[in-house]
Order: sequence, then C-alpha cells, then structure tokens
Amino acid sequence: MNEKYAMELATAFLGSLGFAMLFHVRREKLLLASLGGLLAWGVYLLAGIWWTEDVVRYFASAVTLTIYGETLARVVKCPATLFIITASIPLIPGGSLYHTMKFFMEGKFDAFSQQGLHTVLLAVAIAVGILIPTSVFRLVQQARRQRAASRKSV
Amino acid sequence: MELSNLPLSPEQADRLAVMAEAERANEYLYEILDIGQYMLQSGAEVSRVEDSIRRLCFAFGAERADVLTITASIVVTVYSHRFGALTQTRRIAGMKYDLNRLELLNQLCRLICSEHPSPEEMHEALEQIMAVPQYGFGIQLVTYALISSSFSLFFGGSVLDAAASGVIGILLKYLERMIQGVDAGPLLPAMLCSCLGGLLAGLAVRFGLGDSVDMISIGNIMLLIPGVALTNSLRDMFSGNTISGLMRFIEAILLALTIACGFALAASLV
Repeated sequence: MNEKYAMELATAFLGSLGFAMLFHVRREKLLLASLGGLLAWGVYLLAGIWWTEDVVRYFASAVTLTIYGETLARVVKCPATLFIITASIPLIPGGSLYHTMKFFMEGKFDAFSQQGLHTVLLAVAIAVGILIPTSVFRLVQQARRQRAASRKSV
Repeated sequence: MELSNLPLSPEQADRLAVMAEAERANEYLYEILDIGQYMLQSGAEVSRVEDSIRRLCFAFGAERADVLTITASIVVTVYSHRFGALTQTRRIAGMKYDLNRLELLNQLCRLICSEHPSPEEMHEALEQIMAVPQYGFGIQLVTYALISSSFSLFFGGSVLDAAASGVIGILLKYLERMIQGVDAGPLLPAMLCSCLGGLLAGLAVRFGLGDSVDMISIGNIMLLIPGVALTNSLRDMFSGNTISGLMRFIEAILLALTIACGFALAASLV
C-alpha cells in the first residue's frame, strides 16, 4: 500500500511538472509549481485518514494548494493563478470526465448520470476550494491597502 | 483655397483639440484592448482581464470605464466630459495556456499604471513580450511523453504501459503539428488525436508492448481531455462570470464527448 502511495505522489509531481511545461512556466517557478502538485496529492491522501468522501478530500486539497499558491505569488511576485492551475493538475477530474462521456457513448445512462454528477461535484469542490482562500487573501490585501491610504492622508 | 490657412475661431480651435484628444484616446484604447486580448488568450480568468482593462483605462484618465469580457469578445466603453463615450470591441478567437506570457503581461499592466507610457511605447513593450520564445518543439515532445507516462502510472498502469503511453504521446504531438495548419475548429483535431491514440494503444497491447489498453490510454486522455478548462469554467461561474463560465463549460463537455467518441471508434476498429 505504501508503495502505491509513493508512486502516486511521484507521478503527481511529474504530471504537474509536465503540465507546467505544457503551459510554458519558466525555470525556478517550474519546480515550485510541480511541488504544489505533490502537495495537493499529499493533502488528498492525508485527508483520507479523516474523511472517506472524495469531494471533501478534494476540497481540503484545493484549499491547501491555493494557500500555497497565493503565498508563493507574494514571495516570488507573480500571478497566483500560475501556481494554482499547475498545482491542481493531479486533482483535475480528467479521467472521471472521460468515463462520463464513455458511458454516454455506450448508452449506459444510469452510469452516465452517476459518473457525470461525480465529475461535476469534484470540479465544484476544486473551484470552491480555490475561490474561498483567494477571496480571503484579496480581502486582507484590500484592508491593508486602505489602512496604508488612510495613514498617508493623515 | 487652403482650409488650414484660415484663422480659427476659439470654438473651432477647441473642437479640433477635442477631436485630437478623442483620437489619442482611441489609440490608447486600442493598445489596452491588445493587452486584454493577449491576457485572455494566454489563459487569464475573465475577472482578471476585466479588472486589468478597467485599471488601465483609469490610469489614462478615463472618468468612467465599462468593460464586458466574455471568452469570445471584449467590449470597452470609456467616458470623458470632453469627448463623450468611446467604444471599441474585440473578437477573441483561440486560447492556449501560456502562464509565462500571462505573468509578463501582468507586470506590463502594473508598469503602465505607474508610468503612463505613450501608445507607441506600449505597443513596443507588448511586441517584446509576444516575442519571448516559448518552449521549442523538442521540449514539447518530452512534455507530452512525460504527461502521458506519469498519468498512466498515476492511475495504476504498469511500467510497460507507461512507456507505451509515452511513445504514443510523442506521436500525438507529431500528429498535432501536422494538422496544426488546417483550420477546422478544435473538435476535429481532438477527434483525430484520440482516434489515433486509441488505435496505437490497442496495437501496442496486441503486440505485447503494453498490458492494458485502458491504462495506456488514460495517460494520453489526460493530455487531450479539457479537465483544467472544466474546473476553470466552474471557477468563472462561481465568481460571477456566468456567461463565460457556461461557454467554457459547454466547450469542455463537447470536447470531452469528441474525445470519448474518438477512443470508442478506435476500440471498435482494433
């Protein structure tokens, strides 16, 4: 079992690296972005200790990777999207989406609706998991800017 | 009779000045839209593009700026008490993630907001960004192989499956380059790629170069399937850009359906 987890973590890193290259991420950011993918899958596996629901684990992972991305963006000075998109690669429900469409093609509509719902729920979990920390970071930044502005005017 | 030699009344002179201002504003707006277009095409979220365009317009003294961006189009109207409303629109076609370019465009926006360059300077800076080289074809081949093999292993394939998936990934990149010049929309290339991917995976297993067609294919599917687009479409919708989100959502679903179709076709052939 441990071997399986190690393999998943290693390939999550390499897969994110591949997509980071596909999306033309450069040099030192390449490594940081793929480490985000490793982190995302690590949190997903870790969350399995407490939750069995895939949707919850995806959500927890998305929240963590967004905090990672937003923090790094402020350190390295570049858009957080760069890290968030590449780090979320191992979570992306590509396989699930494919199976949904495959069921549709085969006319298995029960399996299709079930798999389709699962795919959309996973995507929603990721999207909301990304949006919440992003909004919090933005609010904090706005508050800071306003405080700085009011200090200047005094 | 030479019109330009006539003495101008103060009203006429003022009118000319206003016209010149409007003309200048139009030039600025054109460059701003260029930046917005390239941002959108490099994979920026709709809200980021709208926000950047609005900031740029205010930086150049617009009293009000209304921006509407959907994935296929940008509409900007700026107002000034001098010349009234000016509107420009842009049709956006094609999108390909280039996060490096997106980062540079973002930096340019910030620079423009603080330094207010002329339209000519903006144009030059923009051209410089667009000339920054992307990864070459060789590295892209490696990328395709890396993604395919990684996800083949990730979903539980054997080492042999991963190797086969990697080789097929490289061949798919070659196919993609071959049909790049043909303007047939996004669906036909996806159909061809997935069909070829399915065929090669089937052949690989038949000749003992892989263990499971599904495990080989899943690596190549991850290359083609719009999983990132699906997730981002939901992000768009949740952050209030419903039209763009829905457009991208439908695009992703259609593309996924096409890919499933291609693999199903290949499976029936092998």
